Amino acid sequence: MDIILATIINGILMGSVYGLTALGLTLIFGVMKVINFAHGSFLMAAMFLTYYLFRLTGIDPYLGLVITLPLLFAFGYFTQQVLIRPVFKIERDVREPISVLMLTAGLWIFMDAFALALFGAFYKTIRTSYKGAVIHLGDVTISLSRLYAFLTTVILAILFYLFLKKTRLGQAIRATGQDRDAARLMGINIDRIYNVAFGIGIAIVGVAGAVLLPFYYVHPVVGVVFDIRAFIVVVLGGLGSIPGALLGGVIIGVVESFGAQFMTATWTEGIIYAMFISVLFLKPEGLFGFKAEW
Amino acid sequence: MKKERGQAKTMIIDRTPWIALIGIVILLVLPVFIQSPTFFQFMILILWYAYLTTSWNLVGGFAGVLPLGHAAFAGIGAYASSVLFIHYGLTPWVGMFAGAFLAAIVGIIVGAPTFKLRGAYFALATIAICEFLRVILENTQKFLGFDINGARGILLPLKGHSPINYQFLDKRYYYYIILVMLAIIFYITYRIAQSKLGYYLTAGGEEKEGAEALGINVAKCKLIAMAISTFFTGLGGTFYMQLVHYIYPRGIVSLDLSFEIAFIAIIGGRGTLLGPIVGAVLLVPAAELTRTYLGGSYEGVHLMLYGAVLMAVMLFKPRGIMEPLEALYRWVHGKFFLQPLTQTDRGE
Repeated sequence: MDIILATIINGILMGSVYGLTALGLTLIFGVMKVINFAHGSFLMAAMFLTYYLFRLTGIDPYLGLVITLPLLFAFGYFTQQVLIRPVFKIERDVREPISVLMLTAGLWIFMDAFALALFGAFYKTIRTSYKGAVIHLGDVTISLSRLYAFLTTVILAILFYLFLKKTRLGQAIRATGQDRDAARLMGINIDRIYNVAFGIGIAIVGVAGAVLLPFYYVHPVVGVVFDIRAFIVVVLGGLGSIPGALLGGVIIGVVESFGAQFMTATWTEGIIYAMFISVLFLKPEGLFGFKAEW
Repeated sequence: MKKERGQAKTMIIDRTPWIALIGIVILLVLPVFIQSPTFFQFMILILWYAYLTTSWNLVGGFAGVLPLGHAAFAGIGAYASSVLFIHYGLTPWVGMFAGAFLAAIVGIIVGAPTFKLRGAYFALATIAICEFLRVILENTQKFLGFDINGARGILLPLKGHSPINYQFLDKRYYYYIILVMLAIIFYITYRIAQSKLGYYLTAGGEEKEGAEALGINVAKCKLIAMAISTFFTGLGGTFYMQLVHYIYPRGIVSLDLSFEIAFIAIIGGRGTLLGPIVGAVLLVPAAELTRTYLGGSYEGVHLMLYGAVLMAVMLFKPRGIMEPLEALYRWVHGKFFLQPLTQTDRGE
């Protein structure tokens, strides 16, 4: 019984990070209708940034967010401005912008290979003061770094939700996602909104990278693990849905946690793919019927 | 813009058979002049990639979707023919068709539900199938009673020089085989591009709703393209197996290979007949050089080149390298031959 409870809790904690990664993906998809294939690579970049910040200056990943967040926002903002926008413009009227998909796929492969050449194929970890620290909840042992990650996710998700609903910029982002032409007619600078949305999406991934690093490793292709998880999560939760992304993340986390507990770890991946494929085939609009928020 | 595109396409179709024929003749007589095995190894690799990308192009280029998991179908072909050979002694010449049919069936299973959805879903589904298949192969020792040895992969029993078993000691045989395979897939693509199916595919890829309104069953056309494409990719997998005699899940059913196939075709010019071949001729040697000089210690560094070139192509020449090549061809033709080819569009 305790094992099952512990498995569920650990799954939820890890799943929240998957949800966080997927949140940025679903935002970008919701606004631009583009799947950012390079999403995991941005996570990898964020993790390396956090890693070197910690190694060189000793700044804690959570504290380092003050520095990494603006950098990653700018990274996302200018990636959209310089790389994606020109391609996106050509296909503005196309309903299925394939070229943008290809561009982000190219960015994915480029960033991963570039990191491989730059940092080498080594697994890197950091040692924070709370590394290995645990708290006991009854008989269940919880790793502190994972708990922090979970709490950060919850806080960030609430802040993000309020931002979208209450602020003018958030409303402009939602309006652009709903109908870009109408939004433009209302005087919204949609090019800027795309830049900002992409920037925010990458900044959220930056948070995911920071909370992940204390209990995970960083590696040039670490992004692929989370990339594919994030794709699964967004499809599971319904593309473009915020609660769907978080809930989908938790489901994947729990499934994975159970898999790791009760069978060979490698098979767990197979189960996740099988789930993904069956959702894609049977219920592509997502498991919960959440409407896209935009 | 639209007009220019259509016109450019007709031009390619008009001239391509001649260019292709000249190319094939040159490649056929090449072994007479060059004997080096290294050279053939190199040429076989280029032709193999050209073959795979041309197959990919049928669905990725003409059908206007983005398959990112074609390595899975090459893997299915390679595994199926080899397993049949090992267990029943069935010659891969026959076994390869079993593998190809299996690949086509899987291709249809992937395509059927996802072609009706947004393009991104199909791309995601193909990635998922590729990864799923790899996980299954890596974790299964026996599949339906066949030994596939999990992550260790399977080794082809060597028979020496045995044409009946698709095994040769001299690389030149493989060179001619892949050359013929490339010629066949090229001819099929050429015929499809000219056929009703080809026009339906282009129409459905560019303007799905419009094509459907005209009574074209877009999803069905895409499925046919997918079936043909995956069938030939499966044959390509068997060829690879016969060439290297050894296969393991990560070696062939990998996202790296899937991306390579897609990227080469896109960079060359997707939806054009010669584009994938031009892409393979330019990129495979470049990637091999990068791999040799940079990638010795790290697997996958050569992909940096592919990613960078792909992004540049998307930004500056969305129709791929074929675009400037065609412009050059047209310029040369206009300069030195009779009249310019583009006279019909002059008035616009």
